[in-house]
Amino acid sequence: MFSNTLFMLSAALTLGGAFAVVYSQNLMHACIYLLASLFGVAGLYACIGADFLAATQLVVYAGGVVILMLFAIMLTGGTGNKINRYGLEKVAAMGNKKTYFTAGFAAVVTSLIILKIIASVLRAQPSKELAANQVTVEKLGTLLATDHILAFEISSVMLLGALVGAAIISRPRKEKHD
Amino acid sequence: MNSTIFSYFSQSKELSTIISGLSKSLGFDATSLVAFIVFAIACLVVVGALATIGGLGTYAERKISADLQARQGPNRVGPYGILQFLADGVKMILKEDIIPANADRFTFILAPFLCMIGVFATLAVVPFSSGFTLTDLNVGIFYLVGMASLVGVGVFLGGYSSNSKWSMLGGMRGASQIISYEIPATITIISIVLLAGGLSMGTLIGGQGGMPQEWYMFHNPFAFIGFFVYFISALAETNRAPFDLPEAESELVSGYHTEYSGMRFGLFALAEYIEVFVVCGVATALFLGGYKVPFELGTGAILVEKLGLDIMLAKNIGQVLELGSFFTKTFALYYVVIWVRWTLPRLRVDQLMTLCWKYLTPIAIFNLLGCAVWMYAFNGKSIYSLIFETASTVAGHH
Amino acid sequence: MINLGSYLIISFALFICGILVMVARKNIIAILLGIELILNASALNFVAYTKFMNNNLDGHIMSLFIIVTAAAEAAVGLGIVIRFFQLRESIHIDDAATLQN
Repeated sequence: MFSNTLFMLSAALTLGGAFAVVYSQNLMHACIYLLASLFGVAGLYACIGADFLAATQLVVYAGGVVILMLFAIMLTGGTGNKINRYGLEKVAAMGNKKTYFTAGFAAVVTSLIILKIIASVLRAQPSKELAANQVTVEKLGTLLATDHILAFEISSVMLLGALVGAAIISRPRKEKHD
Repeated sequence: MNSTIFSYFSQSKELSTIISGLSKSLGFDATSLVAFIVFAIACLVVVGALATIGGLGTYAERKISADLQARQGPNRVGPYGILQFLADGVKMILKEDIIPANADRFTFILAPFLCMIGVFATLAVVPFSSGFTLTDLNVGIFYLVGMASLVGVGVFLGGYSSNSKWSMLGGMRGASQIISYEIPATITIISIVLLAGGLSMGTLIGGQGGMPQEWYMFHNPFAFIGFFVYFISALAETNRAPFDLPEAESELVSGYHTEYSGMRFGLFALAEYIEVFVVCGVATALFLGGYKVPFELGTGAILVEKLGLDIMLAKNIGQVLELGSFFTKTFALYYVVIWVRWTLPRLRVDQLMTLCWKYLTPIAIFNLLGCAVWMYAFNGKSIYSLIFETASTVAGHH
Repeated sequence: MINLGSYLIISFALFICGILVMVARKNIIAILLGIELILNASALNFVAYTKFMNNNLDGHIMSLFIIVTAAAEAAVGLGIVIRFFQLRESIHIDDAATLQN
């Protein structure tokens, strides 16, 4: 019963946050709703015994990605007038009727396709007894260091590349004085 | 699955009689209901006690700073002014709650609560004693790191939403400082996790003993350095002096909570003091043996054997001793935090980032490698046991 | 309550929300928010199938790598956005059209 309550709360948080991201007209608020949605996903992980993943979700998203996005929003917020020196809109609109109509159409088409795919799963629900939640940390560590060692190493190289790349891209370049 | 506070209480006979009685009168199995009630009461106790500790923290800060500066400090409310924090709390609740006209209302209201949630959620895994841990999650320390990073979001939003340049600068400094210093702190935690072989608080403390030579701090030279790396990073993560740049009074009025008044400011302050307690508790658990008491007094086995006490009574006495051990070490660290604040001058922003990225992070990575090599080379033995073994073999040869 | 169907429906809704955000918004950072939603939906699917189908932990590993990739993607993407803003003073997606034609 308590796990069901936890599941309901997490699902409500996830879906509510996601819908709020769609309909919020303020980018800062959308980012906070995204944080709520990601926390809900962590709760959903915890409901089905993925404890390590839930904690990873908290560490990576709450501590890293969301703060990074908030920083980017603040740095690109712009002050004063809304038009830059090229006559372009500085802070882009969060969408208008036309884009929402296009997006709604795209969403309907995509959802029809996906519903067709998952319909077979929903109909043929395997009714077997679920295995009890187990401790996943040791097993995940063993798997990462044995079966998936190549992917592990490649992802570490990718992270290093991302670190160096992000630092180089966003570094302010010296402008030539003439 | 995890050992929780309920699994400690369910050892006693009274609880099982209560459960069976309730099950009879209600007509269904009341175990989970009783567990829920036990958890609710324990959570209330922990939150209440920690809020009091946070309040007393403000009092201790004033009193210790007064000592260091040869002043009196608060001495009017109650004996030695010890009820000063209650007076402050009443004052804060009664103050007018001002929200600036140009502030972003939603984030302005949300920010202090994010700080509070982030700090109080970490209390679920803080190991007060072997029985009185709310829940001993098997990803305990990882969960704690993740939840504590919510404070960074709260600080940033508080600074951004106030629509004031002092707050904005304070919030930016706070968020960048918190996410920067998370890296050496987390790497140091990983090196201790390597020594213990598990992420849960029970495993981390279980590998240590009550005597100082059995603590992870004195396990090997790398862990000894690691303690100081973690402590410095923890100071910076909680925005305490000498790293209190986000609220530097002389430059930024009071940083990210400049525009906050009344209880909202109080929530920020309370979150800060409780977070200091939590990071001191984590330092105790990871490096200083946590709740362990010398001579295995914590389990109560020796009391049953020598004094012939009832098993449950001996266990309860052991729990009280463990609580005392944990709180003594944590409050000693808390004193050091306050002492450092009133001793050292504040760093500059560039010095802060230099300290993190050029010194602490490489040292932390070196410690991690060193711990791994030590575990491999000496089979996980501590330096004390190595010396002891060598001495005994040398003595045996003569 | 906790079964494969409900998890699939939740991740489906998350995915559709991500698609909506990506298509409807003209702001680059908002599009990155949408990408995070989509990546989370796929990671949730992997974990759900692991739990309800075969119970070996390969799906968890896959989700871990998705989270790692999402973090790297956010770092690089936001770096590009900030650089773009420094150059053009705009984060409108239609202004990033220098390489078109």
